[in-house]
Amino acid sequence: MLKPFAFLALFLLLLTTAVLTHFSLYNSSMQSRKLLSIIGLTKISSPVLSSAFYEPRELFNTDVSNPAYPQMQNINKMDFIYDK
Amino acid sequence: MTNSAFLHFLTTLLFKQKSKHIGAILISTIIITLLSSVLFISSSLQQSLMSTLNKQADFTVSKIEAGRAINTPIEWIDKLLNINGISKVSPRIYGRYFYEPRGNSFLVVGVDFFDEQSSRELEKLIDGVDLKKFLSQDNMLVGEGVKSFLESHYYKDNFTFKLKDGTFKEVNIYKTLPKLSNLITNDMIVVPIELAREIFGMKDNTVTDITLNVENDAEWDNIISKIHLLFYDVRVIEKREIKKAYENLYNYKGGVFLILYLITIVTFILILYQRYSMVYSTDRKEIGILRAIGWSIKDILKLKFYENLLIVIVSFILGTVVAYIFVFIFNAPLLNQIFLGGENLKNSVELIPVLKFGVLGSIFLFYAIPFLAAVLIPAWKIAVTPAKEAMQ
Repeated sequence: MLKPFAFLALFLLLLTTAVLTHFSLYNSSMQSRKLLSIIGLTKISSPVLSSAFYEPRELFNTDVSNPAYPQMQNINKMDFIYDK
Repeated sequence: MTNSAFLHFLTTLLFKQKSKHIGAILISTIIITLLSSVLFISSSLQQSLMSTLNKQADFTVSKIEAGRAINTPIEWIDKLLNINGISKVSPRIYGRYFYEPRGNSFLVVGVDFFDEQSSRELEKLIDGVDLKKFLSQDNMLVGEGVKSFLESHYYKDNFTFKLKDGTFKEVNIYKTLPKLSNLITNDMIVVPIELAREIFGMKDNTVTDITLNVENDAEWDNIISKIHLLFYDVRVIEKREIKKAYENLYNYKGGVFLILYLITIVTFILILYQRYSMVYSTDRKEIGILRAIGWSIKDILKLKFYENLLIVIVSFILGTVVAYIFVFIFNAPLLNQIFLGGENLKNSVELIPVLKFGVLGSIFLFYAIPFLAAVLIPAWKIAVTPAKEAMQ
């Protein structure tokens, strides 16, 4: 029964090697370059988290902070649920 | 018992009880695949976003009125430039264009193409783009999601915007933004800055907001105070906040992830229960026979430990490899919509392979320890009883 076990071990080793090879050979710099170019062009960096039109597309669009007027309350519905 | 004899017996036992082990391996592989897929997607998206942080502006300044952001006066740019330490002050004109018939929206961004940096970035972004030709007419660059949405609504070459004054503006689709930038550009329409103003009906002396950089990190808090002293109706968004948001974007300690973990734990409990009951039926006799032929308790525990360790390792490798192929080769169909959302336009992002060995190690421990414990504890309980009693 050692033979089928050796085959199984070899198969798993092959799978692991294939994954590690793909991981080490993958060129991830291309995507980074394109993302950096679009940020350089538009100055917009927020990810598209396909939100409905009434939800903010840009991060922190509904968040207001103003140390000059500390009494001015933050109009953010999430504040009622979570503490920052 | 010699090591080779032990190994032979172990593998014989493993393959003889194939049907029993295949069930356990199958369930464990599915659980590990799901868990690893979720962690792979989240870490890949997080890594992609984090890699853009250096290019982002340090601060975004906008005017507020009644707690909401409104258009910012363009004269603020000069006032901001007067503060020592501030550089790269740029206005931004953007907004969402709501396409009423289908309830979808696009992010329209105005870019000053006469700015040298912008034209350089455009050349880097789209190969062989002719800026003169682009600016000669009303043209726009659209994201992949926008392009496929417009095509499905019979806007093959151009799209007609409805302006604020009720008139219409036809704009040609010049080129599609590269698919590799879909994480940011899927719902984006890039137009010249004047055209963006026209679409949103904005005055010439206003912009949506202003971005700026402060080279010296130590000066950041001081600069924020100076901006707040300069304008009272201002909102300043820092890059530090954005970084924190990216870190928490797919926080695997809360929300959906907690539910996923709970499901995993419950499933594990079911597996453990199954294993436990198995020991009390078939394995009980097997342990009794081994004890009767002279095996010590230590030998039995060693056999059970290695037998199940092999099952754990096989399931873990299979689960992780399947998850890797599913996420990084097939781009996680269906599952990626949970992370990217499908409310507005369908998005398909190429996920960059990211392997966090710490996370994988945690999954392994999280899975292996209860699994081994569930087998070894009952096996030990039987092994310590007399052989005759165990076989009954």
